[in-house]
This record gives sequence, structure tokens and C-alpha cells, in this order.
Amino acid sequence: MSAVWVAARAAVRRRRLQTTVVGIVVLVSTTMIVVALGLLAVSAGPFDQAYDRQNGAHLTVAYDRAKATDAQLTSAAGWSGVAAVAGPFGQATLEATAGSAGGGRRPAMPLTVVGRADPQGTVDQLNVWDGRWATRSGEVVVNQNPAGPGRSFDIGEQVSVGGATLTVVGRAYSMSRSADAWVTPEQMTALRPTATQMLYRFTAAGTTSQMEKDEAEVSKGLPAGARLGSTSYLVLREEAAREVATYVAFLVAFGVLGLAVAILIVANVVSGAVVAGFRHIGVLKALGFTPTQVLVVYLTMVSVPAVIGCVLGIGLGNVLARPLLSQAFRNLGSEGIGVPIWVSVAALVGVPLMVALSAFVPAMRARRLPAAEAISAGSAPHTGRGQRVQRWLSGTRLPRAVSLGLGLPFARPARSALTMAAVVLGVTSVTLAIGLGDSLTRYQRAEARSGAVQVEVFASGGPDGGSAQDEALLRSVPGTRYVLGAADLMVRQVGSTEQTMLKLYKGDTAALGQLVLEGRWPSAAGEVAVAKRFLVQRGLSIGDTFTVEAGKGPIPVRIVGMVLYNETETIIADWSTAALVDPDAFPDRFEVQLAEGTSVQAYIDAVRKTAPGLVAVQPEAGEEFILIALVTFTLLTLMLTVVAALGVFNTAVLSTRERRRDLGMLKSIGMTPSQVTVMVVTSMAALGALGGLLGIPIGIAAHRVVLPAMANAAQVGFPDAVLNVYKAPTLVLLALAGVAIAAIGAFLPARSAARTTIAQVLHNE
Amino acid sequence: MSDEGSEPAVVRLSGVRKEYGEAIALDGVSLEIHPGEAVAVMGPSGSGKSTLLNLIAGLDRPSSGSVVVHGDDLGRLNEKGLALFRRRRIGMIFQFFNLIDDLPALDNVALAAQLAGVAAPHARRRALELLDELGIAARRNTYPAQLSGGERQRVAVARALMNRPALLLADEPTGALDSRVGEQVMDLLLDLNQIGQTLLMVTHDERLATRCASRVIEIVDGKVARERTLERA
Repeated sequence: MSAVWVAARAAVRRRRLQTTVVGIVVLVSTTMIVVALGLLAVSAGPFDQAYDRQNGAHLTVAYDRAKATDAQLTSAAGWSGVAAVAGPFGQATLEATAGSAGGGRRPAMPLTVVGRADPQGTVDQLNVWDGRWATRSGEVVVNQNPAGPGRSFDIGEQVSVGGATLTVVGRAYSMSRSADAWVTPEQMTALRPTATQMLYRFTAAGTTSQMEKDEAEVSKGLPAGARLGSTSYLVLREEAAREVATYVAFLVAFGVLGLAVAILIVANVVSGAVVAGFRHIGVLKALGFTPTQVLVVYLTMVSVPAVIGCVLGIGLGNVLARPLLSQAFRNLGSEGIGVPIWVSVAALVGVPLMVALSAFVPAMRARRLPAAEAISAGSAPHTGRGQRVQRWLSGTRLPRAVSLGLGLPFARPARSALTMAAVVLGVTSVTLAIGLGDSLTRYQRAEARSGAVQVEVFASGGPDGGSAQDEALLRSVPGTRYVLGAADLMVRQVGSTEQTMLKLYKGDTAALGQLVLEGRWPSAAGEVAVAKRFLVQRGLSIGDTFTVEAGKGPIPVRIVGMVLYNETETIIADWSTAALVDPDAFPDRFEVQLAEGTSVQAYIDAVRKTAPGLVAVQPEAGEEFILIALVTFTLLTLMLTVVAALGVFNTAVLSTRERRRDLGMLKSIGMTPSQVTVMVVTSMAALGALGGLLGIPIGIAAHRVVLPAMANAAQVGFPDAVLNVYKAPTLVLLALAGVAIAAIGAFLPARSAARTTIAQVLHNE
Repeated sequence: MSDEGSEPAVVRLSGVRKEYGEAIALDGVSLEIHPGEAVAVMGPSGSGKSTLLNLIAGLDRPSSGSVVVHGDDLGRLNEKGLALFRRRRIGMIFQFFNLIDDLPALDNVALAAQLAGVAAPHARRRALELLDELGIAARRNTYPAQLSGGERQRVAVARALMNRPALLLADEPTGALDSRVGEQVMDLLLDLNQIGQTLLMVTHDERLATRCASRVIEIVDGKVARERTLERA
């Protein structure tokens, strides 16, 4: 066994406390880094793998059959950048109704039906996971994700589509979302297709600009207006990774903060060990250790706990990332998705390397220290530091224990700066986490219109069970302040296979409608408002017009506003638009705001008495994601707070050990144990207070970066109120957070110092 | 020097025993020190004399027996009580001074009163008086590192006297000083005792004991081996 290893091992054993602190700090930091990097690395992985397995279409385009012939489309698809093509397939969006197993009817819904002879092919290879493919007229196969939620048709069920009655013979899954259902080409012809579907895979399709170029090439030479609409796989990919991307934004922020705190604390621990170990360094050199061997001893001393903490952190990070990934990719059949091995390897190499680098500067000091000077030097701080401050403090009216404590950080300014930096990052984390938590809660409340909508009222007979008189009846119930009537109609945007919900609102829209983020609330027939995600995923803007089909022909609608809403496939319109889509529609759901002082339960009871045909309930609770995010913020904040407090703990331990002679003397002249505790805690609380003041603006700045990044990843818009969450009471609490972190970290060493047996210290130099 | 029999003892030890694990530092020590006395405790290294000083100063607790100082039974006091006892009744002088390096002489002396809640201006005024009495007022703004050994010990003495203690304890007060400076400190202690300050010192220095003390207690193997009364010059 080499002498260096023996000396390093002895140093580790002698500094159990510092070794433990380094180990824990590295463990926590590594955990956060592994989770963040893991999520970042796999954010698109499961989608890409599943998509490649199906040879999913990079681009799905619907063309107008009246304007482009199959021959023209096939010819255009001969462009050299096309790697594979499928189609032309006949396509129609038709109203479908099906009988339920219980004999009741299901509401009619628009269904995009495509005629395909074969589920395989070079593009969009369908996974027929239940039943079989349609082989003759009168048969239909429906699109359904085997792992996800969705509309379910039973095998053998009769579906009425466009006047024809079809039997469900199978369920297949298309990740390209190329259709809701497939029939044979002969059956499609009988259903009179209105569009032609082409599915393309390109040689270059990695970016939006490449996709735009590809789409332009395959549409080249076609008559104007031939292209009805298209779906890029990048949109589907982004949607699949959306939830993960939302986590990544804040996990990366916390991971960086965690690593920074770890570096500061390690530097502090090693520099403390060097200062406290001057005599030890001198002895090593006197024994014949070369300067480089001394350097290696100190680097090894910190690397041992760092490697152990890193390995444990990697394990914990892998365990914690798994449920987040499973939750995020639940619809892709992602059981078993884990953090890629390279993330663990990178963390195993990178984190100890960062730790070693942070230890390098103080270890170099040990390397350079002359042996004689090291042996003769004590461990007491240099004299003369912070004397002016101490002197000034001694003349103040503060209790002497407090003024002494306030002066202590000035004795070792570098150590104090490192400790304060750890507190700054701790407070930054708390500020960021509280801000994000508050923002998400505000977003959730605004999106759900919590407080605005206190009661929801439904017709007791189901979607069509209400009547046109319900609204008047509801307004007559005492305690009603505002009423918003709503009806949901299923439509489809031309060119997209996604079902789209058209929400028609009637009544007090100004008070209860979704918050308008840009533009205005729709007020005329054909005007709609949508969520930001709708605009982003379709490349649309306010003022643009698009066409929807509702089984009664195409209806052009114009976007007049962007509203705070979390659903992608939803269009919001004023009741006047009902005349274009379904003139017989009437509100089947009401959202009610109560007059001040009205009890929700009393109101619900009153509705039951006044209008027995209506069922009043309280609105549902918030989204699962926000709950998960809030729990994650809280956990990360606790972890970083503990790490920052450990930094303070380490400094307080070093400081009290170095100053044990002073402490003994102070006790000998009558300093009580509680005064000792106050002095030590004050010394760190001063750093905490300053750290708090610096950490708050940094945290607020981080919040202004991370929240929009999360919102962009989630493709949601939000009002200013969601961003401006830091009010005076919050800031005061945050300022106290630094003091609290420091006080918690310093308390145990302070208590230990207060209990120190002083007799031995005072009689020996 | 006061009459030993007329006033109650400032220090009374009865059957004091102190053990550190297997080792016995003091074994059944009983003694009294009366107001105005100057007592020197002598003995070889490891005999138990520093332990005796620690017990009387309330820095340590006896394993058995009682230590009563100025009416306070130290065995009955908790940590806070002991701290307050030290603050009000005891002044301590150490071989290595134990001054706070970050504070100038004046603030080192004033510290003892400030801990007791005396306002800074009052504490500094009293500290300056003491430094003046001890002849080092001119060095009041000097930090310990820039003071000579004798000056440091004078500052330590001033600090020990700050709260007008009933008992001044000195642990090898000349041990770290050269003979000339040691003489000055001896003179200082003698002067203090002659104006009525009760003094208990632990020392190896026979010259210090014979010059300053009125009584010498010799401790050997944790027991009082011999007591002798001295006639001071």
C-alpha cells in the first residue's frame, strides 16, 4: 500500500464529519444531475424508437381530389428527397354513430376514414393489435393506441358511417395518426372520398425548415389550393416529448444549482482541511512526502467520499427518473424506459472530476507550503483580519454575543465568501421553487377558472338531456351571479385526423370565459379563440383562417384570440357560431359563479329543489402534472436547502474548532452556553442574511428564465400575473430563508461549542 | 491581609474527588481560602493542581465532594449558573494570556463587562481605568499580536478584574514570561492582594509563591501533601 494512500485514508478517517458532508452533498447533486440529464437525453427517444418501428410518415398530406389527380400526386412524389411514399389513399371525414353494448346510442362523431388494402407498406406500417385487417366491403378497422386512453370500439360492433353500416373487425394503431379508421379501397370508393391521402418519408426531415422544404417539393407543380392540410411528425414528436421537456426545464436549473453548491462546499471543506491541517502537512513533508504527494493526499481525501456519493447519487437518480419517465411516456408503451447508460457514465466521470477540480486550488496551497512554516503554524486564524469590523461592532449597542458573532465571518473572508455563496444558491433554489410553485398554482387556478366557476351544472339526462329553458331556470336560483352555458360539438380540422372539440359558450362570457391572452374573445359567427398549443402545433396565428368539418360540410373559421387553456384540440366560439355548425344545439352544461356569501353546498341543494332536471356539482380538481411538478419542486428545494445548510454546518464546525481557545476563554469570563450558541449562530446567520439578499434577485431572474422555458416546452401561454408572483410578503419570507438555512446549519456546531469542556483548552497552547 | 477566622471562607472544598476514567486527579481534597488571602498551589506536573483550579473556577465538576465559592455550591449550578458564577465571582489569568486576537487591548478588557450586559461606553470607561491602573493605557488600541508578553498579561489581569471578582485565579501567570517581565507581573499580583484582592495561583515558580503568597498548598498525587504559611517581605 503506497504511503500516499495510507496518509489519505488516515485523513479521511480523521475528518469523518467533513467526509460525510462531502459525500452527502455530492450524492444530492449527482442525483439531481442524473435525473435532469436522463430526462433530457430520453425526451424524444421512446417516440423515435416507436415511430421508426412503424416507418411512421414524416409528412401526412390531404389533397383535394377535385384539384389533384392520383397521377399528379404520384409523379410529384418521385422527387429524389422522398425516401418512401404510401398512397394515394382515398379519404373522407364522415359522421359516425355506433350502438353501445348496452343498447344505448353513442353521440355522433366525425371520423376520418381512409381506404387502404394493406396495413403494411413502406410508410405507416400499422400495428393490428386486436382482430384482423378489413378485407372486404362492410368491414372497418379502428385506430386505437393499445397503451393509451381513447375511443374504444368493440370487435363486432356495428358503426354507421356516411350512410353505410360497417362492422368493426380489428383495432390497429398508427403513430402517424393517419386515420381514425380504415376500410378497403372498394368500400372507400362507395363512401365517396373527398380527399386523397399521401404519406411520405424523407431522406432529410430533422428540422422544421427541412420539412417545409420537403413539403414544398412534393407539392410542386400541383394546382393552387390542391393541398388541404398536412401533419408533420415533428409536431407529433414534440407533443410526445412535451411533458418531459417541461420537467427538464426546471430539473436542469436545479441540477446546475446543485452542482454549483457542491463545488463551493467541496472547495470550502478542502480549504478548511488545509488550514486546519497545516501541522499535518508539515509533518508529511518532514517525513519525506514530495509536494505533489501532499497534493495527491488532499485530492484523494476528498475524492473518496465524492466517488462514493457520486455512485449512490447515480443509483438514486436512476430510481427517481424512472417514475417521471413512465408518467411522461405512458402513452407510448414506455414501461422499462430508464436513464441511458451514458448519463450514468458521464456523471461518474464528470462529478468526481468537478469535485477534484474544486479541491485543486486549496490542495495546491498545501503543496506549496514550506515544511518548517507548516509545522510552526497553528490552526488559529491569521491575526489582523476583520479587526476594524470587530472594533466597530464592540462599540455598538448590540448584545456582545451578537456583535462578536457578526464579526466572526471577517476573520476568514474567503471561507465566509464560499459559505455565503452556498447560501446564495440555497436561497436561489428556494426562491425559484416557491416562484415556480406559485406560478403553476396560479396558472392552474386561472386555467381551471377556480374561484370564478364555483359550480358546474349538467342536465341529468346526459348530453342531450337538457333543454333551452335550463339557463333561465338556473338564473332564477337564489345565489346565482353569473351563468355561462356551454355545449361541446365534435368537429375536425381539414387536413388533420385529430378530433377537435368546438366549445360554444353562451351567457356571461366576460365574467366566466377563459382568460384572453392575446386578441379578443370571439363575438361573431365563425370567430374562434384557441390555446397557444393549438397555434404552435399548426403554425397558425391570430387572424388566420382554417376550415373545420362537422359532418355538414366545411366551415371556415377565423382565429380572433388566444386564450388561457390547456387543451390542444379545442376551439372556443361564441354561441352565434352554433348556427353554422348545429342550429338545434342548446347548452347542456352551465358554469356558475355565486353571489358573495352564498354557500356552494346550499346552492347545489337549491338547484336540486328548483330544477330537478339539473345536476349541480363542484368543479374537478387540478391537473396531475401540476401536482407532480409541485411535489418535485418541494423535494428539490428540500434537497438543495439541506445541501446549503450542510455547507454552513461545515463552516461552523471548522470555525468553532479553530476558535475553541477563544470560546474557552469567553466561557471562562462568563459567557453562558446560550450566549455561545447565539454567537456562533449569529456568525452564520449574518452570512445567511446577506446570502438571502443576493439569492433572491438571482432566484427571481432564474424564475423569469425557467418559467417561460417550461411554458414554451408545454406550449402554453400565460398572463403576466403568473410570472409576477414575488410580492412583498413573499420577499420577506425569502429573505428569512437565507437566515433560516444558515441558522439550521450552524445550530448543531453552536450547541456543540456551547458544551465544549473548556478547562483543557485554556491551560494548553 | 485579613484575619482568617473573622470572615467566612471565599473558597471551601470538602472531600473533593475528581476522576478522569480510571485516573484519579484529586483524591479527597479539603481546604479553605479566606478573604484577602493569597494562596499558591504548587506541586509536580500531573499532581492535580490545574484540576483543582478548574474546579474552583467552575470550569469542571467534581466527581464527589463539594466546592463552595463565595457561598455558591458549584455542584448545584447548571451550565448557565456556572457561567454567571464565573462572570460575577471569578477573574482568571492564564499562562498563555488567552486574549482575542481580533480585538484591541481595550475591547479585550471591556468584553467581560459587556457579556454581563454593561453598555459599551461604560464598559470601555471601566476598562480604560483598569489599563491605566496597570500602566498600559497608552497601549489600549493595540492588538494582542503587537503587545509584549508582559503587556499581554497585564491586559489579561485587567480583564480578570473587570467585574470586580471575589477571587482572582491565576494559572502559571509568569510561566510564559521572561524573568524581568515575570517580576513585573509578580509585583502586580502582590499589589492587588495588598489592596484586598483574594488570590489563588497555581505555579511551579517557588519565587512567585514566596513573593506573592501568604500560604502555600502542595499537592502530590491528587492529595494535599503539605500546607505552609509564609511571611512576606
